[in-house]
Amino acid sequence: MNGWIGRCLRVNLTEGKHQIEKLDTDALEKYLGGRGLGVKVFTDEVDPNIDPLSPENKLIFCSGPLVGTGAITGASCNVITKSSLSGAGFDMVIIEGQSESPVILSIIDDKVKLVPGLEYWGRSTAETEELFKKNLGDQWMARETFLVSIGPAGEKLLPLANLVNDRFLSVGGAGIGAVMGAKNLKAIAVKGQHSLQVADGSRFVQVINTLINKLNSAPLTSQSMPQWGTTFLVGLCYQKGILPRNNFRSTSQPLKNVGTEALNSAFALRGRGCFACPIACIKKADVKYSAFEGKGMVPTYLAIGTLGFNCGISDLSAIGVMSVLCGEMGLDPVATGGNFATVMELVEKKAVTPEELKIDISFGNADSMIEAIRLISTKKGYAKRLGQGGMAISESFNMPEIFMGVKGFSLSPFDPRAIQGMGLHFATCNYGPHHLYSYTFIDELLNVHENLDPLETQGKAALVKRYQDTSAVVDSLGLCNWPLMGLKFNNYVPMVNSCLGTNYKADDLLSIGERIWNIERIFNMKAGFNMSHDTLPERFFKEPIPDGPAEGQISRVKEMLPEYYQLRGWSEQGEPLQEKLQALGLEE
Amino acid sequence: MPRIKIDHTKCTGCRHCEAACSLNHVANTVNPRRSRIRVMRDGNRYYPVIAGPFVDAACTSKQYIVIGDQTYDMCAFCRASCPEKPYFIEAETGIPLKCDFCGIPPSPSCVRWCNTGALELVED
Repeated sequence: MNGWIGRCLRVNLTEGKHQIEKLDTDALEKYLGGRGLGVKVFTDEVDPNIDPLSPENKLIFCSGPLVGTGAITGASCNVITKSSLSGAGFDMVIIEGQSESPVILSIIDDKVKLVPGLEYWGRSTAETEELFKKNLGDQWMARETFLVSIGPAGEKLLPLANLVNDRFLSVGGAGIGAVMGAKNLKAIAVKGQHSLQVADGSRFVQVINTLINKLNSAPLTSQSMPQWGTTFLVGLCYQKGILPRNNFRSTSQPLKNVGTEALNSAFALRGRGCFACPIACIKKADVKYSAFEGKGMVPTYLAIGTLGFNCGISDLSAIGVMSVLCGEMGLDPVATGGNFATVMELVEKKAVTPEELKIDISFGNADSMIEAIRLISTKKGYAKRLGQGGMAISESFNMPEIFMGVKGFSLSPFDPRAIQGMGLHFATCNYGPHHLYSYTFIDELLNVHENLDPLETQGKAALVKRYQDTSAVVDSLGLCNWPLMGLKFNNYVPMVNSCLGTNYKADDLLSIGERIWNIERIFNMKAGFNMSHDTLPERFFKEPIPDGPAEGQISRVKEMLPEYYQLRGWSEQGEPLQEKLQALGLEE
Repeated sequence: MPRIKIDHTKCTGCRHCEAACSLNHVANTVNPRRSRIRVMRDGNRYYPVIAGPFVDAACTSKQYIVIGDQTYDMCAFCRASCPEKPYFIEAETGIPLKCDFCGIPPSPSCVRWCNTGALELVED
């Protein structure tokens, strides 16, 4: 088989057993791999109404067929679970059950085993990785082994917890860390030596040469991203009034010390590329701030927006420290930022006093926020109630309107009143409001392929649908979406075909994306979500932006929603219609 | 004589060169194990190492380099196809691998795919 390996590893933690299964070729062609295949298997095997932290929940790691082949940016792995890797010789790893004591799943050169994990329990993600590699004994083996682990936050079942790969790359943020923590699985270590087959090697090499040239001739993928990573968005979003401040209540405070120039002077940036990535948007550096020093990832746009600006903090070194701490403790920056922004507004509205919280959390107070991040991840003492997630905290004080999130997840740092298409995506996304499931800002803000006004609603429903489907396909192939800032989706097609030996056209791939989006939607609906959840917090409909370039704007999601449902082939209540499901080959 | 100049300060550790080399030397196959260039990692830094000519073990003892407060294991940066480490050896046959500049005239595939300028073909 080309690209795909065709094998799946199923590990049952309750029994401590594993088995290797063959993957169904039809499903591979219909769902590609990665996100698509994972979601398909997950929805087939898991009851939508289970408790996310129970042994019945499953955790699926699924890499795409293009991963590891040298296809540009072919390095991503998708993790599918109900919320709260590659070259290893498997397309998919399914984790079931629950282990009695902490374990690490080790998949090294085809030898699958569960290693007792007691000595790793309680350690940060970086320490876990270091210790595990040391315990391997062989430095050559250690060099090729990669770990994805949870930090103390995941062990304590915090809803903000995520997984951390290779010390800094975080996965998810939908409480995946807590799911893994509930299974008593500390980490998964992977090392492979399998060869991957490509259908037409010489054509594949040619296609990649052209794609690299294309990326190099586009300004964003040849200059902005390699130089600063996603941080270059900070200045742009600020100019358009999209960058939220103080829990989405302002956009115009002085942008002091947070921009690309400040970034250059605050850190000695060093690019880090994921496998086969010509862009290398991740930046690493040494981080220093008062009592803290550490190595890690320079804050991305997400971290600056959520942990920094939206909490009123504009000191880059402090944001850097928070971002590194989140990585070490296994916390998701978006959820953590949203969590604290909620608490800060509660304090400001006098719903709770700093004395009651025993920590002076308020907008702009970086020192106490750094302390709070440490405290919540270990769930110690009075900080217990601070780490429940924004929604739970705001509800416990009877002020649910203060939580800026959809379907329980905090908003990514884009003010939906100033960028309408992204707003519609936030309202409808199956995963909660995350901008990486629909890159509408590529056209709305950066104007790469189309020149759209972020404040307009015209044509945005179609834009959102297109980008949602695109990202479902790109995720399923195991690629990254960022090259879309320099490439059209059509440019991906020859790469896919020469690698897999298939004859997909762009439309075929997009309809695969639509199929994936629909099964995700159906699963969510079985789990109790409906049209009433396709909305934004009331603030965005009632309170116009008080200042800045987008002053006076409110969100017009409700106007766009019927058009979006219609384009998706759903009923007015947002339910996928029978004809649509039949057309996508999903009829039951 | 043309040679490949390595500037490790520009390397991002993406290992695209390994994929390029493997695809170019083994038909339709990607496997860093079969590649004649490997990217070594040390903390935040990455060092591409290109397979050199095979020689009998030239080292009589293990060497370490000390730069600043860091100690580096020489074996990690050594170009030899050596039984001590699993790199630059064809796994099935045990034949040592050596960079051939992707034929004559030299047009190394690793240099073509290296987008950051860490690898560069220069004329001496």
